[in-house]
Amino acid sequence: MASNVAVPFWRSAGMTYITYSNICANMVRNCLKEPYRSEALTREKVHFSVSKWKDGKPEKPVIRSDTPED
Amino acid sequence: MVIIPATSGQMGVLPGHMASIAELKPGLLSVHEGNSVSKYFVSSGFAFIHANSVTDIIAVEAVPIDRIDPSLVQQGLAEFNQKLNTASTDLEKAEAQIGITLHTALNLALTG
Repeated sequence: MASNVAVPFWRSAGMTYITYSNICANMVRNCLKEPYRSEALTREKVHFSVSKWKDGKPEKPVIRSDTPED
Repeated sequence: MVIIPATSGQMGVLPGHMASIAELKPGLLSVHEGNSVSKYFVSSGFAFIHANSVTDIIAVEAVPIDRIDPSLVQQGLAEFNQKLNTASTDLEKAEAQIGITLHTALNLALTG
């Protein structure tokens, strides 16, 4: 039914929508005037912890963060 | 009336519009109220047009166009044109292409 609609170029290059959307947002943020630009770039900061599970138990977590560890 | 940058082109939404979901491309969103127009640039996202004439715009970034720096847009366009020439993987090419499309849309929104 939707097979006559072309796949977007980023999808055929292996990118997901969320990656595409975040790339677009990042580019817009980089084109802003100050002070909006610095405010906007703080929205890109991430801080999270990921742990893989094995045999029903979590292994040691990996923390990914843009804030310096205190 | 709101004019939204749908992937199928600029789309006008008036009260009473049929309920719909539109995918948005990077572009100008203009809100027309009486004689005044407010212009915003939307990075990408969706528009939900509800049956009760409320339209929601879902975007990661939506900025009033006066917050955009035209010289940074020109710089970005030149940078991504350059990246397209040096790109080798499909992913790099796609990223460069996104950069070109997005900065071109920014330019158009500022000058249009």
